[in-house]
Amino acid sequence: MANSNLPRRIIKETQRLLSEPAPGISASPSEDNMRYFNVMILGPTQSPYEGGVFKLELFLPEEYPMAAPKVRFLTKIYHPNIDKLGRICLDILKDKWSPALQIRTVLLSIQALLSAPNPDDPLSENIAKHWKSNEAEAVETAKEWTRLYASGA
Amino acid sequence: MGISKVTDELVLMVRSIVGAEYSNMDIVRALHMAKNDPTAAINIIFDTPGFRKPEIPKKPEPLNRNLSPEPATAANPSVNGTDDHDSKAKNQNLKVEDARCSSSNGCSSSSSMGSEWWLVGCGEVAGISTCKGRTLKPGEEVFFTFPVERKSSSPSPGKSGGGRGRQVSSSSEIVRFSTNACGEIGRIPYEWARCLLPLVRDKKVRIDGHCKSAPPVLGIMDSIILSVSVYINSSMFQKSHQASLKAASNDESVIHPLPTLFQLLGLSPFQKAEFTPGDLYTKKRPLNLEDSFNVSAPLLPIPKFKSQSTLDGSKMENEESISDNDLDKIVGVADSSELLEMEPPSTLQCELHPYQKQALHWMIQLERGHCLDEAASTLHPCWDAYRLADKRGLVIYLNAFSGDATTEFPSTLRMARGGILADSMGLGKTIMTIALLLTHSERGGSLGNQLTAQTLTGNGEASLISDQSPTAKKAAKISGFEKLLKPKSFLTCGGNLIICPMTLIGQWKAEIETHAQPGTLSIYIHYGQNRSRDALVLGQSDVVLTTYGVLASEFSAENADVTGGLFSVRWFRVVLDEAHTIKSSKSQISMAAAALVADRRWCLTGTPIQNNLEDLYSLLRFLKVEPWGSWAWWNKLVQKPFEEGDARSLKLAQSILKPIMLRRTKSSTDKEGRPILVLPPADIQVIYCELTEAERDFYDALFKRSKVKFDKFVEQGRILHNYASILELLLRLRQCCDHPFLVMSRGDTQEFSDLNKLTRRFLKVGQDIVDGQARDVPSLAYVEEVVEELRKGEVGECPICLEAFEDAVLTPCAHRLCRECLLASWRSSTSGFCPVCRKMITKQELLTAPTQSRFRIDIERNWVESSKVSALLHELEILRLAGSKSIVFSQWTAFLDLLQIAFSRSDIQFLRLDGTLNQQQREKVIKQFSEEDNIMVLLMSLKAGGVGINLTAASNAFVLDPWWNPAVEEQAVMRVHRIGQTEKVMIKRFIMKGTVEERMEAVQARKQRMISGALTDQEVRSARIEELKMLFA
Repeated sequence: MANSNLPRRIIKETQRLLSEPAPGISASPSEDNMRYFNVMILGPTQSPYEGGVFKLELFLPEEYPMAAPKVRFLTKIYHPNIDKLGRICLDILKDKWSPALQIRTVLLSIQALLSAPNPDDPLSENIAKHWKSNEAEAVETAKEWTRLYASGA
Repeated sequence: MGISKVTDELVLMVRSIVGAEYSNMDIVRALHMAKNDPTAAINIIFDTPGFRKPEIPKKPEPLNRNLSPEPATAANPSVNGTDDHDSKAKNQNLKVEDARCSSSNGCSSSSSMGSEWWLVGCGEVAGISTCKGRTLKPGEEVFFTFPVERKSSSPSPGKSGGGRGRQVSSSSEIVRFSTNACGEIGRIPYEWARCLLPLVRDKKVRIDGHCKSAPPVLGIMDSIILSVSVYINSSMFQKSHQASLKAASNDESVIHPLPTLFQLLGLSPFQKAEFTPGDLYTKKRPLNLEDSFNVSAPLLPIPKFKSQSTLDGSKMENEESISDNDLDKIVGVADSSELLEMEPPSTLQCELHPYQKQALHWMIQLERGHCLDEAASTLHPCWDAYRLADKRGLVIYLNAFSGDATTEFPSTLRMARGGILADSMGLGKTIMTIALLLTHSERGGSLGNQLTAQTLTGNGEASLISDQSPTAKKAAKISGFEKLLKPKSFLTCGGNLIICPMTLIGQWKAEIETHAQPGTLSIYIHYGQNRSRDALVLGQSDVVLTTYGVLASEFSAENADVTGGLFSVRWFRVVLDEAHTIKSSKSQISMAAAALVADRRWCLTGTPIQNNLEDLYSLLRFLKVEPWGSWAWWNKLVQKPFEEGDARSLKLAQSILKPIMLRRTKSSTDKEGRPILVLPPADIQVIYCELTEAERDFYDALFKRSKVKFDKFVEQGRILHNYASILELLLRLRQCCDHPFLVMSRGDTQEFSDLNKLTRRFLKVGQDIVDGQARDVPSLAYVEEVVEELRKGEVGECPICLEAFEDAVLTPCAHRLCRECLLASWRSSTSGFCPVCRKMITKQELLTAPTQSRFRIDIERNWVESSKVSALLHELEILRLAGSKSIVFSQWTAFLDLLQIAFSRSDIQFLRLDGTLNQQQREKVIKQFSEEDNIMVLLMSLKAGGVGINLTAASNAFVLDPWWNPAVEEQAVMRVHRIGQTEKVMIKRFIMKGTVEERMEAVQARKQRMISGALTDQEVRSARIEELKMLFA
């Protein structure tokens, strides 16, 4: 099992995530696989995602922390940097990954991305176009989606 | 009894004429009809066509219900529902069968009533008349009317509340009797009604009666003596062995109807249950000490078992195995001298000691099912044996606790195939097990093994291969295993599965390879990431070795759609090595072990009980020793009484264990009274060391500080809330006894002599860069902060491994990381980004930070021997001359670090074994230590060396610091003093005088007593506080 050879670093990170969770973020490892985390991020205030609870999955690959974790939104979200499969366009998850980053910092970055969508570096062309052409309407759609898919659950 | 006796004689007389096809009941009825005239009775039988069909037309409706044999049940072909595994029970059933066969010859239509109902016995009931002016002649038949059960307020048979409540509730419990001639005559007393009612309702029992004596003319409340015969329906035994949880969890005051009825009938068991609820609940009846087969328990005073150890403690001469002794008191030592020996097969390539041959014989016997004669014929201590009045000579066993009845002999050994080999450490449990593997190994559930297959089917644990129905997967009968109840397509047949702690895998493999003739046992190691999930692969090997960790993880992964693994195999045999690993019954490991499907199960452990009697429960559950595998039973009959201080529960536990456990100790003797194993003697000494003056000052200062903190907790009454902090305080004190450096390393300030130099160099590097790219240079303030941090010896952690720095380096951007972590994050070996700020840096630019050791001071340069280290070196020096190898145990790897310095300086060759090594490295170390003559010492952390490892190459062991649990210490030391050891063994424990270590010795001794004693939660709490106070006294 993956669990038996879990690196100390992952254990430590997990313990800290559980003991001192970052505000608006919860991440807990799956019982079966300690490298797999169930994540919940609260939509940041003053963003179109406010009031929403977004579920994500996070997986630490074998090479972690030398390789970035794999993160994906499970909850549908209307965001220019997140596609319909929930994949996230974020540099630190790709070429800007550094082993000094942690699960916590990654999730905080994602939370920040919700506050500040970046339509210039889009993953979802349509949404980005929408965002650029009519931001007010796009924000409304994002709010609508938040209410539809990310409330309660 | 007069009438019933006459009746018996008459019945015999009539039977001799009419033949066996008529049951006692028929004949009795005919006699009644003929007013006890045998000739008339015979005429009635022969003249009435289909006489057996009861035709009593005048009988009122309710009577009919109770009296007439139930056609439905009578037609039931399976009269004897007992699924017997027991030869004794078989015989009885044969008799029943005979009776039934012959009767069906006579009248095939509906004839089996007689064999369906077994006469339990006859007795007298003092009924009370409820009528006036009616008459009842002696000998006249009476019929009983039982009240119809009322749904709303169904009377519970056991309720016996006094006063008005009883009056009301019992109105529906009145059993009346009547005659054909007069109608209702009277009612029978409550005590009879109460136990008859539920039994008659469930059609388990029926009762016939006639008047024995009554006043010529009846008045209200006149007493009428009835003579009754009680019959029991054999269908009651169809589900004989369902030790019902329900019964066990009932209120303790429940009166079970059947035993009560037996009592009322004046039946007394010909073999009494050794334990009855009365014993446990009232504690009144003194135990018959002479009868008890195991004499150690009576030594225990009541009610507190813990005082027993103190009592015995004074008698104990054998210092060597204190905990062994206690254990023996609890579980009993088998008088093994009587056991037969069995020669191992020639494929075992070593000579077995006689006691090992005995173990082999014992194990093979247990596996065969018809276990040791003695075990099979030992009545389960909770059961009474009754001989029924029935002519067929039936024997019924009643469980005094649950009221369950069975016709099958309830021996102490039920269902379990296998047991607990609990020989104390060093007697060679591994080799005995290997002998067992070689003597008999097949594949689980193989048809060649009929006996096993049958029994297991009866057990419901697993069924024949040909019957791999979904229901067969009942191995997980323990509640909470829903996921295992999932239908499983089928189980692969597997060989032997051995589960052991990780450290022992290599040893098992090595021992099997050394002792089994090559080619006889194929081994597969089921361990590691890449292990096969394919059940067929697992099933192929004769022996599969795995760890408890793998077992637990495959168990918890079971709900995933992973097929394969340990749970997809039906094992021929499962062996748990160091089986006390599963002792806590709620742990994953324990549940996982119990859920394995296997034909034979063995526990190997030198300590079947480590802390509590409860430890046993887990083993019994794994072994499927029914009914003890169910918590309700165990808790009710053993655990709870034990916790309440009833020593009899211990005796019960012993009698459960007796047939399934073999335990010998090093001091056990054979038939001739010689010790079974002659080991070279072991000399155990305690070396008391004095602190040097400097050490004493340091220790006292530390102690004073700790005591102030402790006293504050005491004052606040919050000792247990601060348990962790107190243990931390103690830890420092204990480490101080080993070497003050250990405490200093824990953040006590220590100036770095070269720190200023470092700052200068560091800032100089900064300046060099200023010329080029000014913006990348860390600010002066930042650098100063970093340096200050270093100066203060702040712990800090590497941002990559999140651990304290190991061989820390400083980047030009003033970030601190472990050298290895940083280099590993680079793609190239010479340069890369700083993981923290992404600045490009080269390997040359890195500075070595001065915190490379876990000690804040340069211990190599400032090396000082603590007095304990000096004492150890002195001892080792002597041994070096003799060429004798030693093992040095400490609990702290940091102390092992220090000892390495000391050994290097003294030129002592050593190896180290601690928890950081993986399995292969461990094996390598042990091998090297055993084979290379120049290596004198093995440094070992107490935990890593705890289990199984064979280190007989060494003949000396040094325990440098006392451990809370003496059993752990003992286990470690016994790695040396075990079979295979040829030299005299010397064990030395180091204790610093006048320190916490000395007080810990006292606590250890106390703990020894507590291990065996039953303490309540409250007592444990106060005991803990007591202990802590002792330490800070």
